[in-house]
Amino acid sequence: MKPSSSDRVLGAACALLGLAMAWAARDYAAPISYEPVGPRAFPQLLGLLLAACGGWMLLRPGLQHFELAPELRGPVLLLGVAVLGYAALFEWLGFPLATAAMGLLVGLAFGGRWWRALAGGLGLGLVLYLLFDKLLDVVLPTGLLSFALGGR
Amino acid sequence: MDTLAFLLQGFAVALTPTNLVVAAIGGLIGTVVGMLPGLGPINGVAILMPLAYALKLPPETALILLAAVYMGCEYGGRISSILLNVPGDAGAIMTALDGHPMARQGQAGVALSISAWSSFVGSVIAIAGIVAFAPLLARWALAFGPAEYFALMCFAFACITGLMGTAPLKAALAALLGLALSTVGLDSNSGVYRFTGDDVHLSDGIQFIVVVIGVFSVSEVLLMLEQHHGTGGLVRLTGRSLFNVRELLHTAPSTLRSSVVGFVVGVLPGAGATIASAMTYAMEKRIAGADGRFGEGDIRGVAAPEAANNASAAGSFVPMLTLGVPGSGTTAVMMGALALYNITPGPALFSQNADLVWGLIASLFIGNLMLLAINIPMVGAFTSLLRVPNWLLVPGILAVSAVGVFSVHATTFDLLLMVVLGLVAYLLRKQGVPMAPLILGFVLGDLMEQNLRRALSISNGELGVLVSSPITRALWFAALVMLVLPPLLRWRGRRRQRARSAPA
Repeated sequence: MKPSSSDRVLGAACALLGLAMAWAARDYAAPISYEPVGPRAFPQLLGLLLAACGGWMLLRPGLQHFELAPELRGPVLLLGVAVLGYAALFEWLGFPLATAAMGLLVGLAFGGRWWRALAGGLGLGLVLYLLFDKLLDVVLPTGLLSFALGGR
Repeated sequence: MDTLAFLLQGFAVALTPTNLVVAAIGGLIGTVVGMLPGLGPINGVAILMPLAYALKLPPETALILLAAVYMGCEYGGRISSILLNVPGDAGAIMTALDGHPMARQGQAGVALSISAWSSFVGSVIAIAGIVAFAPLLARWALAFGPAEYFALMCFAFACITGLMGTAPLKAALAALLGLALSTVGLDSNSGVYRFTGDDVHLSDGIQFIVVVIGVFSVSEVLLMLEQHHGTGGLVRLTGRSLFNVRELLHTAPSTLRSSVVGFVVGVLPGAGATIASAMTYAMEKRIAGADGRFGEGDIRGVAAPEAANNASAAGSFVPMLTLGVPGSGTTAVMMGALALYNITPGPALFSQNADLVWGLIASLFIGNLMLLAINIPMVGAFTSLLRVPNWLLVPGILAVSAVGVFSVHATTFDLLLMVVLGLVAYLLRKQGVPMAPLILGFVLGDLMEQNLRRALSISNGELGVLVSSPITRALWFAALVMLVLPPLLRWRGRRRQRARSAPA
């Protein structure tokens, strides 16, 4: 087997991150210093170690290749977008609606029929809202439904 | 005997109605989470941790809940191993080797009940080990100074990278990434903001919950897309549902041996249930020799790894409670949970929070009794939960995770950060980077830096202080052994295998 190019990418990314970290920490200094080791040393040490490990991986990559079956690319993308959207719209849409939308998309990504996924999402949104917000006193955003459910 | 007095005090805490109910609920949830393929103890504890905090449970109750989930997972993993031939969590991989053949030979009930029993025995032996050794270790660790702590944490990282199997470099990368994440935010010694990009949301650092949920919930869900488990292969429960005396006596030596080994492996930082169960399975196979039918449904091959993985789960509480250095990814998450309550585990915990520590130990025992009681008769009810389809299960996991993250600061920023960390963690895990060292790094980062700086303050910047005491030297040496020995053994094993496959 030939060395993994995705290991090389990982190594390069870590090396760059480590160097960036060490560079960004270069002027972290305490205004009044009363200890020999300031706020700069530890992050710089980590950054350099990270760069060293990343560099090692870049030069001596292993055999593990990044693999994603073609038929999974769609679902992974859909799931990623659904989760990002869920986080971004959680407050604005409110928990019940956001959860219903997320439930629909995630359900589709996992091969559910659309009406079942939608019903599942709506059910989850409502049941979990009642459970957490009303019963267990964990306040959740109501967003667009605030006119009906109260809250914000 | 003050240990006995403390233990009684612990039972007084654990036997309050709230804590009993919480332990039972935790055990049930844990069994289900452990049983579902793809979700293990670390996911269960990670998802429930913010909820325990949001529900304003007192610290000892929260810890009892999380511990019950952890133990429950170690019980639950065996169910899908035996009935589906798909391990429910990593610690149950070995159980499938003999458990599933037993189930196909019509002995599913026997396999399930003997594994529940050996899980229980493993846990009880390990709890006895905690009671016997933890206070001693804590008393000894009280003498640790900052230099010793720094060396101890380096030892923990050496263990987790050395024992992590085939890719120590990737484990090291993960640990460094975790440490790096922990440096974000205000440096309390100097008042300098580090890596915040002047964003107010990052000024007091990245929330532990955000990292844990991102890494163990969001990325896990993405990985779940790749496993096609149907319930088609589910073996029906037939035959006796309980083991008999002959089987009990037949497995007893294996169970006892494996429990002790599991406990010892669990106490080592970094080596968890997976390693313990694999080790004891190999050990029992060797001891049984020619009269073993390992791999074809030997009952000892079910009892041994189950005893070991429960014993190591209980054992991993020892370093967390006594040293403040977690022994597994899951206890690292629990340590983060305690940090939410401003409790720092460590040797002082035994004197300052005796109720918490002994309440936890007592409730581990009670929780295991409950788990034994629910796991033998109620297996049928649990298996029906294996039929919950992923298109409903996964949105549920994500919604509960988001509630947990949102309940801490109520900001969209935290949710977005959780998702971004989760997507990055997914890519890292796809590339074979383990996540347990990352969490360990994130949990220990601040302590590690503080101890390093304190040690160097004492010596006025002289690096020699890090190797000056016998304890530090012993720890550095042990760390070196942990880093060098496993690759050496693997190399030798490979060479021997090559020699065998190419006979002269």
